[in-house]
Amino acid sequence: MFKRIWINFKKYSFLLKQLVSRDFKVKYKRSVLGMLWSLLYPVLMMIVMSLVFKNVFKFETVGRSYLVYLLSGLIMWNYFSEASNLSMSSVVGNFSLINKVYMPKYIFPLSKCLVVGINFLLTLIPLYAVIIIEGFKFESLRINIYHLALPYAYLCLFIFTLGIGLILATVSVFLRDMFYIYGIVTMIWMYLTPIMYDINIIENKVLLFLMKLNPLYLYINFARKIILGDEYSNFVPYLPSLKYFAACGGSAVIVLLIGIAVFKWKQDRFIYYV
Amino acid sequence: MGNDSMVKVDGVSMRFNLGIEKNYSLKQAMIEAFSAKKRAEKKANKAKNQFWALTDVSFDVKPGEVMGFVGTNGAGKSTLLKIVAGVMKPTKGVVEVRGNVCPMIELGAGFDSDLTARENIYLNGSVMGYNKHFLDSKFDEIVEFSELQDFMEVPVKNFSSGMIARLAFSIATIVDPEILIVDEILSVGDAAFQKKSEAKMRSLIGGGTTVLYVSHSAKSIKSLCDRVVWLDHGKVMMIGEAETVCNEYLRSLNLLEEE
Repeated sequence: MFKRIWINFKKYSFLLKQLVSRDFKVKYKRSVLGMLWSLLYPVLMMIVMSLVFKNVFKFETVGRSYLVYLLSGLIMWNYFSEASNLSMSSVVGNFSLINKVYMPKYIFPLSKCLVVGINFLLTLIPLYAVIIIEGFKFESLRINIYHLALPYAYLCLFIFTLGIGLILATVSVFLRDMFYIYGIVTMIWMYLTPIMYDINIIENKVLLFLMKLNPLYLYINFARKIILGDEYSNFVPYLPSLKYFAACGGSAVIVLLIGIAVFKWKQDRFIYYV
Repeated sequence: MGNDSMVKVDGVSMRFNLGIEKNYSLKQAMIEAFSAKKRAEKKANKAKNQFWALTDVSFDVKPGEVMGFVGTNGAGKSTLLKIVAGVMKPTKGVVEVRGNVCPMIELGAGFDSDLTARENIYLNGSVMGYNKHFLDSKFDEIVEFSELQDFMEVPVKNFSSGMIARLAFSIATIVDPEILIVDEILSVGDAAFQKKSEAKMRSLIGGGTTVLYVSHSAKSIKSLCDRVVWLDHGKVMMIGEAETVCNEYLRSLNLLEEE
């Protein structure tokens, strides 16, 4: 069975490439700055958020750069939010294709996760720029050997997002309300994920426990340990423990497997509902 | 290959639920979840709304054979072809297809109006399952056939519908598939292009590939097909030689005199 899936995947890998490159080309067509927006957007968002949180809420992250703290979480959250949203509408949006030609349907959510992934890689440029600039102010903030483990966090984020994307794509075919529901869900999810604040300001023990179960928190925290360190390491960057590696990888793979199972279970019925 | 059939359709039935797409929303799901009466109502409705687009259809197509399909609108021809193409799964029955299928059911599936003609050739080609290497080698042929050399870098949204149809037809017919599914798409473009495209279709169909061909023109069916399946309301009325089946079909519609 795996061999069959692999052969099929290889046959349609060119289609996947075409879908990805189409989305990428169409995205910035006719905009003057084009791809530069991928770099500018997170930076502008970071500036606005840091102004609001530093000046209005008087928020401080003692001993480490708030800008880097914010941006390292923000780009990961943005990836998740954009990719999962696009994946959700990818099957419904490509109905005209699904209805006419056979193709493996998972290719649509997968292509969306990949397109946003390319975008995500571009946002690493401003992240590293900010790390270098803030490095003049914070002694421990240096690009170090542990950064080689960062791709692992991003890979987990990708796998997790793809899993969620598959589930959302399936549900939204049968229940169009999902588009609106998920908008609210992402908003709640964003505020429950420590992107702009430190998780330690949460005093409610139950809430704190629940928040730590959030896989996105795991991945973001994983990256932050490497880039910034945390209070346990006295804000010196360090490599997360093996247990942390396992938790990230495990949660991502489980969600992906659930996503695949749900998608596979329902995919033959898509055509009657879209 | 001997007696092996290229396409074997065995006892295929296809059921559609007519009611499902109407107003299915969270509200309704909630009501159904909490009310047994509504649930029972829905179940009864479901049975009532069932529509069998195909019932127990069986036939097989030998290598190199051109099989025609006739029937009135809504007889199930397109559904049947979609099942063979793998777009839909039949409710009952088995479809066995040996070799790669090229479904020319709809032209220009997957065109993106923001992309240029060149980019769309690759996109549309990949949708039909071709790889880059193949498209590279056939690119000039496609452009030449479509006669759109001067417009390759123009976004498709600025094309006229005739130009889009030309481009789509040119991409669709570059293949050399083992099984070709054709759903009446011969008449696109202006008169000159129509003639050219018809000739191209004939050469494709006559080239020894296995073809499933749907058309409302009994004349073209008779001239192209070896055997014909006549479908009516999802049932096979007759399978046999093109001439005989077509005449029977036309007789049933009281149209034979006109031919």
